[in-house]
Amino acid sequence: MKTEKVILKNETGLHARPASELTKLSAKFKCDIKIKAGEKEINPKSILSIMSAGLTANTELEIICDGEDEETAITELVQAFNNKFGE
Amino acid sequence: MLKGKGVSIGISFGKVVVLKNQKREIEKKNVDNPEQELEKFKQAFNAVINETEDIIKDLNGTELDIMQAYLMIMQDPSLISETENLIKNLNYNAEYAVEEGFNSVIQIFETMEDQYMAARSRDIADIKNRILAKLFNEETVNISKLHPDTIIVATELTTSDTAKLDFKNVSGIITEIGGTNSHTSIMARTHLIPAITKVEEATKILKNGDYIAIDGSLGEIYLNPTEEEKEKLLKLKEQILHEQEELEKYKGTETKTKDGYKVELVANIGTPSDVEIVQKNTAEGIGLLRSEFLYMDSENMPSEEEQFNSYKEVAEKMQGKQVIIRTLDIGGDKELKYLKLEKEANPFLGYRAIRLCLDNLNIFKTQLRALLKASNYGNIAIMFPMISSIEELRDAKKILEECKKELDNENIPYKKDIKVGIMIEIPSAALVAQGLAQECDFFSIGTNDLIQYTVAVERGNEKISKLYTKYHPAVIKLVKESIEGAHDAGIFCGMCGEAASDELYIPLLIGLGLDEFSMNANNILKSRKIISNLEKDECIELAKEVLRLTSAEDVEKVLKDFVERK
Repeated sequence: MKTEKVILKNETGLHARPASELTKLSAKFKCDIKIKAGEKEINPKSILSIMSAGLTANTELEIICDGEDEETAITELVQAFNNKFGE
Repeated sequence: MLKGKGVSIGISFGKVVVLKNQKREIEKKNVDNPEQELEKFKQAFNAVINETEDIIKDLNGTELDIMQAYLMIMQDPSLISETENLIKNLNYNAEYAVEEGFNSVIQIFETMEDQYMAARSRDIADIKNRILAKLFNEETVNISKLHPDTIIVATELTTSDTAKLDFKNVSGIITEIGGTNSHTSIMARTHLIPAITKVEEATKILKNGDYIAIDGSLGEIYLNPTEEEKEKLLKLKEQILHEQEELEKYKGTETKTKDGYKVELVANIGTPSDVEIVQKNTAEGIGLLRSEFLYMDSENMPSEEEQFNSYKEVAEKMQGKQVIIRTLDIGGDKELKYLKLEKEANPFLGYRAIRLCLDNLNIFKTQLRALLKASNYGNIAIMFPMISSIEELRDAKKILEECKKELDNENIPYKKDIKVGIMIEIPSAALVAQGLAQECDFFSIGTNDLIQYTVAVERGNEKISKLYTKYHPAVIKLVKESIEGAHDAGIFCGMCGEAASDELYIPLLIGLGLDEFSMNANNILKSRKIISNLEKDECIELAKEVLRLTSAEDVEKVLKDFVERK
């Protein structure tokens, strides 16, 4: 199991485009992925789960990957968050 | 024969497609065979997904981003888990399960504070509606793919409807609600589609598949036209076509009177995609680009980058011709989903346009920076709306200077001597035109609002619409003051209201010395033709005569007589 902490930098939170980018990216990996934001636990493979969490800019998030490709998954996810999902 | 108000000229024949919101009764039932019910739901759901995938193929840009997220929501298993659960475990019928299951998801989003997220509840409600329509075997119309010669009949078309509408195959539009300047009417005129509005109960009287003929000038609708009627209408259609061909001669020619007095003939546009029609009609520039499209079509405040790209696109396409971009003009009758404004007793006299921008510097500066950056790619000029005093002009210019300094510090290039002008649409501005002209580079008279504020008649109020007239001598005096004020200071004065393309009004405006006429692109050629048949001197005489009159009726009569004598 791998965990990593990131800060959500997108000014408008995880809106349509970044949320769909996150879903697409997460769906590529076989491992289980969870994102924790305080009390909330999000399944990033589900766009509804991401959107209904209503994450705003500057929230601290904990990414947890567990499974065979956890190493690549966590690296790519952290990178995507730091790149603001290309915004 | 049905009658309404013609808002876009032309004659067309076609088959009716009625768009209406259906009311459904959803019963709660227990089914014996949940497997079968689940299959029924899955089929309906998959059909909706397939339709969406179909639509996405033709999209790009922001629209594509939004629809992709919409599709992903549909593909998310948690969207339908509750619905499936209600069918499988509680044996409910598919219709009830969809209603309840989707509502539970909608609720999660509705309660969110974030405006954008709350708006997603509408997407999910839309998905629910489309599934239910399938389950009820309702005929739904995919308005982005229509049969040729379709005449759309609706209570009202929303902005999103017109955005999706397959204009190639629409030969007419009939609505129950709307006016000459409603969004649908403007779109219809832009696409040269005959349109009629204010047709009472149109969606009840006309049925899908009815064969009808419409006359967009007179606002007449013929259900199953007789041979005689058809013949009459075809003749009219030919005549209109002939007139249009006649106008072809004026493509690309200079705009000047018979005796060689030149004026600028430019276009009013609402989105970058209108540039195509502007070029087709050989307008000499853009006299008014309404920047609201960026804000109205968006789910959140458009970023500097988004705005910059749009302005740059127009500037580049216009290849050095002047493009006057008006800064955000919202408030009053135009609202934004993501900017909560308090309801006001008198919105037209309230918190709108430049007043709102000067109070929300974040919004204003984002736009000004985007405009400045784009000015490096073409001939952009900035225009402030709703200026009522010289202080507002100074304040707005001060903010512009701040933005220039910021860009200087960031080493971002822009046109240093970018032209700055104002709309003259408030009587107080027209009356101090001389002073205002000393501190800006051009005027553009917005007659639609100027009339409203001069005669104290709200534009949209039908009961008093007779009092709303551009022929009122007071309105003409204000136009004269504005033009003279501009000329005294050596700057140019344009007009971007409806009056600038009015056959009766053009001779008067030439006589008053107006320099630039800005209008819907489809009126360019006709106006060029009108101007080429005038002589400057006779127009000056006409203006003198009109300025002596005291009643609107007399003004109209004198202008009519002048045109008839020609």
